[in-house]
Amino acid sequence: METKFKFIEEDGTKCKNELVVYALSTCGFCHRALKFLKEHSFKFKYVYYDELEPEVQEQIEKQLRDQFNRSLSFPFLVIDCKRFLIGFNQDKWEEELL
Amino acid sequence: MNKKTKEDTRLFTTMVVKKQDWKLTHDEELLELLLEGLTKNFNRYGYFCCPCRSAKNDREKDKDITCPCVYSWPDIKEFGHCYCGLYMSQAFFESGKQPGSIPERRP
Repeated sequence: METKFKFIEEDGTKCKNELVVYALSTCGFCHRALKFLKEHSFKFKYVYYDELEPEVQEQIEKQLRDQFNRSLSFPFLVIDCKRFLIGFNQDKWEEELL
Repeated sequence: MNKKTKEDTRLFTTMVVKKQDWKLTHDEELLELLLEGLTKNFNRYGYFCCPCRSAKNDREKDKDITCPCVYSWPDIKEFGHCYCGLYMSQAFFESGKQPGSIPERRP
């Protein structure tokens, strides 16, 4: 995917998986998800989708739809470019990541 | 367009729950985040777009996800709270359970 934006990178001690989060700056569950990753010292990167230009948003939406056959909801966590989690439910994230 | 403050948004959501016989989330941190999110959306789009959904910056296209979104009623009935966790049924509120992400009902 051609990237016209920069992810915000968070450093952490847990770096077994490549974690990428698409989030909304206005969404409570997105904030919870990012807080969860920080509190558990995961290395990850994220972007606030709502702060991107519309054409970049479309590009991301298409890329995720093509790759995972799912429409974009938030937070959208991509693990190692292969798996994904949609929404934030702490039990599921713990099961998948811890 | 007149800008709204977080307190304006709090008043708006308080009026919604009063009218619908719902409750605002008991999770105070989540409540403040969502009020800030709704306020940000109003001030950049001109309407209270749901803070947990991507807006098209078009009032007509986003009509169904303008707060309270049309999916709030079935979501509160099925899950006890709306998609973003702001509004709750009386029963869910009294249960003290934490709201979490629920499936997106929007087509």
